[in-house]
Amino acid sequence: MSMSPVEGVALAEIDSGGGGADAPKEKGFVGRSPGQLAMLRLRRDRTAMVSGAMLVFFVLVGLAAPLIEALYGISPRDQFQAKLDGFGMPLGYAGGVSGDHFFGLEPNLGRDIFIRLVYGLRTSLLIAFAAAVITAVIGIALGALAGYLGGWLDAVINWITDLTLAMPFLIIALALTPTLTLRFYGERDAVSPAFGVGVLIAVFAIFGWTGTARLVRGQVIALREREFVEAAKASGAGLAHMLFRQLLPNIWAPILVSFSLAVPQFITSEAALSFIGVGLTEETPSFGRMIYQSLDYLQTDPAFVFFPGITIFALVFAFNLFGDALRDALDPKSSR
Amino acid sequence: MRPRVAAAAGGAIALVVALGACSENTGEGTTVDTNRQQTGVIATDPKDSKGPAAEVPGAQKGGTFTIIRETPISHLDPQRTYSFAGLMASPLFSRYLTTWKDDGKGGLVLVGDLAETPGTNVNNDCKVWEFKIKDGVKFEDGRPITSKEIAYGIARSFDPDLSGGPTYIQEWLADSPQFDTKWDFKANKTSLPPGLTTPDPKTLRFEFAKPRCDLPFAVSLPTTAPLPADKDTGVNLDNQPFSSGPYKIAKNQVGVQLTLDRNPHWDPNTDPVRHQYPDQFVWSFGPTADAANNRVIADNGADQSAIAWNFVPASLVAKVANDPALKQRTILSPTPSANQLVINNQRVKDLKIRQALNYAIDREGLIKSVGGQTVASPLTTLMPPSTIGFKAYDAYPAGANGNVEKAKELLGGQTPELVLGVADSTTEQQIGTQLKGNLERAGFKITVRNIPDDSKLDEVKKKDNPWDLYIGNWAADWPSGASILPVLYDGRTIKPEGNSNSAFFNDPAINAEFDRILALPPAEQGPEWAKLDERIMKEHAPVVPLYVDVAYLVHGSKAGGVFVSSVFGYPSFVNAYVKQ
Repeated sequence: MSMSPVEGVALAEIDSGGGGADAPKEKGFVGRSPGQLAMLRLRRDRTAMVSGAMLVFFVLVGLAAPLIEALYGISPRDQFQAKLDGFGMPLGYAGGVSGDHFFGLEPNLGRDIFIRLVYGLRTSLLIAFAAAVITAVIGIALGALAGYLGGWLDAVINWITDLTLAMPFLIIALALTPTLTLRFYGERDAVSPAFGVGVLIAVFAIFGWTGTARLVRGQVIALREREFVEAAKASGAGLAHMLFRQLLPNIWAPILVSFSLAVPQFITSEAALSFIGVGLTEETPSFGRMIYQSLDYLQTDPAFVFFPGITIFALVFAFNLFGDALRDALDPKSSR
Repeated sequence: MRPRVAAAAGGAIALVVALGACSENTGEGTTVDTNRQQTGVIATDPKDSKGPAAEVPGAQKGGTFTIIRETPISHLDPQRTYSFAGLMASPLFSRYLTTWKDDGKGGLVLVGDLAETPGTNVNNDCKVWEFKIKDGVKFEDGRPITSKEIAYGIARSFDPDLSGGPTYIQEWLADSPQFDTKWDFKANKTSLPPGLTTPDPKTLRFEFAKPRCDLPFAVSLPTTAPLPADKDTGVNLDNQPFSSGPYKIAKNQVGVQLTLDRNPHWDPNTDPVRHQYPDQFVWSFGPTADAANNRVIADNGADQSAIAWNFVPASLVAKVANDPALKQRTILSPTPSANQLVINNQRVKDLKIRQALNYAIDREGLIKSVGGQTVASPLTTLMPPSTIGFKAYDAYPAGANGNVEKAKELLGGQTPELVLGVADSTTEQQIGTQLKGNLERAGFKITVRNIPDDSKLDEVKKKDNPWDLYIGNWAADWPSGASILPVLYDGRTIKPEGNSNSAFFNDPAINAEFDRILALPPAEQGPEWAKLDERIMKEHAPVVPLYVDVAYLVHGSKAGGVFVSSVFGYPSFVNAYVKQ
């Protein structure tokens, strides 16, 4: 099956091209804006609909975490060590799966995996989305300015990009977190989970924008000399109009693709960073932390690896498929 | 195409999980008996110190015995040996003044090694000690070992360039922690440190300013390994130590592999503990704990006569323990390494709170959270069960899971807010989470504060550290209360930094008891330390004893004779052999 419903697209193109705004309702010709067209194409794409529905589902689950906790009756910090054997492994089938514990129990601490996954989903999605949005905004703004204006501004922005790329991400993250923690909290104060989340988002934002910035800059430079841009410039359009009305609408596709790839990448980065002690603490339920912890139990408690693993697989897969479909819908002519 | 691929992938994953889920874990057969009766004495009969060591049942000569370990041994130079790997490797190629005859089941006897007896307390005041050296003891080149070479070995441990080893004997001889400034080895290579004399080639004499009743124990550490002055290569001795034991260094590829061959000049008739069964010992460095254990479990080729030095990692424990075929190839034994929840007594001054913590602790849950009974065994005393004279007691009996009601009753409705400092390592993070849940159920308010892993030990040893609770660990250098209680709980030793007494416990009556017991003859100290242990816990509860580490080792099907040392808690190789 093809991802993009070609026939539908072709029809829609003819519709808008041939009909135009002058001839509404004539022989079934309908006038549609490019946005409406994209939506139409998206709606006809089954893959997009399924992956989109999954994303909506994940987001809803994440948002409704406290509600699910109330219904489920178990909090992410509750321990059920009586249901573990002498080695700290869950009793029963498949890592302790039962009517009480849908996805079983963690080895050692004996916490419920299902409710921790629900809360972990919320943490991870929040971090990944926030970081992706911030990096996209920074990247688009700097990239578009550098590409469109050129000259000394381009040189400076390029220089900053290179500098950021040259900075060792892990080392700075490792050095920054404890320093920041000590700056804002005394040695006896509890560090709130929100602080850890904030630090992670900030670290991602500082280091993550370079890719988008370079991408946007390149695209803008390619468009800069085109006739429609020249025309807009000749008719006296201002900088904002040029950027937001003329240039950006034409480069949404690559931006969306890079955004849809950035989100799952941030989810996995959050996992790695939490593991080496930067950012989130053990108390905050987090996807990444769970997956890293579970890897040790691949041989002895595969179910513990399976449930977080399949969830992150589904989440990242859905993101990538939806990103693909979105690109197809926005820019059906670009080659894959 | 894509949905089919996705379906296939999903199906494969589901299948794997279904297969994994087939077996139900009923918890049966996963109980581990780690009890062993610990007895320890000092040999009074000189016959005990005579060789040869009793034959190991079933032992055969020949073969190559391999030890697989993740990181290299930090020092091979006996005077610089202090790591557990070093302490367990060293007896293969060095002999000391005294050593432990260890049956691996808890029976410990301190015997003379190069000395005929574990020392003579000349005036019965522990200030003057004499050791008579055995006849027929030789170096790897056939030269006889005399008191001169042993004294030279001790003298070179004063050299600040050769640091890393234990410092008891040096500090006692110099009567100062800054022993290297009191006596300069480099300037006096031909003389001996103050108080150390060799009246004749068969006699070594120690004279101390203060009573040092623990000397027979202290000289069982590798500091007393002999070395002829002409074989001293300084810092290079680390690569090629000069052997006095049953094996000598054949080849040392630093950081990769250490090969030991038989030493033909070693005489079994002089040695009460060591054997010379395998042709070769090979220490192989590099594989991670997981990789080493998986290799030994697979039991192929040369790995059949190998042992993984690193304990079975938590991730493999359930697999190893539930495999009946592996049962004969595993060694399970508690170690003397004791873990406590240290209470900062400078901050938590209310005895009731400290007692409530002791009642509240859920040891069973804590042990599950660190990996279960093959990783840890519960402890209710200050000294581990492997200590000489140990007497089991529980000053705050609350059952395996703690007594929340009793703790709440002691707290009397108040909610003490305590800060628990934990290292940001995976294990301590889990312990922190576990303790927070556990203690908050008992009416405490616990704040978990992370401390960077590499600086945690230094930070909690600072006198004015800001935390109320932290995890402490103590593994003594010899199984006497003297190397545990006064070190950890003598309040007069508290200094600004580097405190072993990280509970900052200080009680004049207890301090006086330390002085009284330390002046007793070593053989009489055991029961006294046990009594004091119980008294400290009952009257002051300065810490919450948690668990002792458990050694869980797996070896190949042809490796035999390995046991876990009752002194250090790591595998000992003096009885090791290869089944042919």
